[in-house]
Amino acid sequence: MSQIAVQVEEVTVSYNGKVALHGANLELRTGSISGLVGMNGSGKSTLFKAIMGFVQPTHGRVLIKGISMKRAQKQNLVAYIPQYEDVDWNFPISVEDVVMMGRYGYMNFLRIPGKNDHEIVTESLLKTHMNEFRSRQIGELSGGQKKRAFLARALAQKAQVILLDEPFAGVDIKTEKAIIQLLVELRNMGHTILISTHDLSSISTFCDDVVLINGTILAYGPTREVFTEENIARTFDGMMMIKDVASR
Amino acid sequence: MNIEAVWQWFVAPLQFEFMVKAILVSALVGTVCSLLSCYMTLKGWALMGDAVSHAVLPGVVIAYILNIPFAIGAFIFGLGSVISIGFIKANTRIKEDTVIGLVFTGFFAFGLVLISKTPSSVDLMHILFGNVLGISDLNLVQTVIISIITIVCLTLLRKDLLLFCFDATHARSIGLNTTALYYVLLSMLALTIVAAQQTVGIILVIAMLVTPGATAYMLSDEFNKMTLIAIASGVFSSLMGTYISYHLDASTGGCIVVLQTLLFVAAMIFAPKHGMLAKRLQS
Repeated sequence: MSQIAVQVEEVTVSYNGKVALHGANLELRTGSISGLVGMNGSGKSTLFKAIMGFVQPTHGRVLIKGISMKRAQKQNLVAYIPQYEDVDWNFPISVEDVVMMGRYGYMNFLRIPGKNDHEIVTESLLKTHMNEFRSRQIGELSGGQKKRAFLARALAQKAQVILLDEPFAGVDIKTEKAIIQLLVELRNMGHTILISTHDLSSISTFCDDVVLINGTILAYGPTREVFTEENIARTFDGMMMIKDVASR
Repeated sequence: MNIEAVWQWFVAPLQFEFMVKAILVSALVGTVCSLLSCYMTLKGWALMGDAVSHAVLPGVVIAYILNIPFAIGAFIFGLGSVISIGFIKANTRIKEDTVIGLVFTGFFAFGLVLISKTPSSVDLMHILFGNVLGISDLNLVQTVIISIITIVCLTLLRKDLLLFCFDATHARSIGLNTTALYYVLLSMLALTIVAAQQTVGIILVIAMLVTPGATAYMLSDEFNKMTLIAIASGVFSSLMGTYISYHLDASTGGCIVVLQTLLFVAAMIFAPKHGMLAKRLQS
């Protein structure tokens, strides 16, 4: 198995001639949690889109488990957990149906689930401690349960790489800790996790690696080495004052 | 009112062939519109539906002028309006709702100009407000074919469209062609508008494409149930609206849409979980 789950090589992405990400290089280790840190407009969303294959780089390439993004999509290798406000929580759909959507890529065009799909969905719900809520409409869940439902979908998808966009926005400390605990469990199962977050305070507590971005990837690597005051100042154009970050 | 009178209320209109045709077409159109209305409601495409329904006007008029099936003209202009909206949105700084308002009024106005310069064979009132009681055999066949195509497509693609409405990013990340799904849904919208045009006309068709879905949305937290409730309310109001219009000698489209609106108001107030009364009792 490749030890590198995600390879971003010299990737440049432009929208209408305006460069959003320039010459980005990054490697995410298989079975690791990485925190993606940067200001608004620093290219975090663009990097996510490049890893998901939603934008075509004008230069460079992205490999997932050593294969191209298009092939990775077909093999369901990358899962995306949306931000809280990007989901219509009143949508008439149950937790089980949401998780089953993780299996669509394995079904024929009518998306009729087989016995194996039902078993995998149940297994994913059990691993995320969501089985007892499987029949609930998704809006009837607590903040932490909602995140777990989407993580269960990523598990059902058998995604190797899981991208989370601001998973801690709008959740309380207890919920944040519960989500982190689940992410660590997923990491231990061999999943590679990349989290976009503004919450710098918790990075050192659970992220194995940190990726700092400001128009390009400024630095990436083990949290203790990369998440330094000097690097954070570069990431936030010197507008951030954090003391003793590495020991937090 | 005795049973015999009720029986006669329902049976008497059926002695006329035009009423039998009208009732059948209304039920079919009610079904297809209600099915699509679930996606329109969940995707928040009411304004888009309104735009496409108005934009088909010049297509209908040109089809009459060229003596080709009106469905072809309407479909081309319906889809054309959507492509125009997409193009202007992508190439200007104008927001989508403004672009939609701009495009559909432009298309609609062009249709009005065409009608005003066209011989009287094109009846503006019938296009705008429908004429299901006077539907021709050719239009009946067109409506049936379009409705069947739409129902089959929506049924086969049901799960992909549901995922597209719920989480297009996930759909795309597992390799589904969301651009194709977007245009499939819009094509279904354009086709449904063409099918419903004979019954309620292009002004009120948006009600058929929104109200049954909105009513069902108040009553269910599960998509399959929502679809069934939408179809039941859509078909019920289409059938009853046609009967009422016959007995009152009133506008058929108007009667259907008024009934649908009343059903929505009832659901809005009395829905067991999401209704206003239930919410008040919960608080």
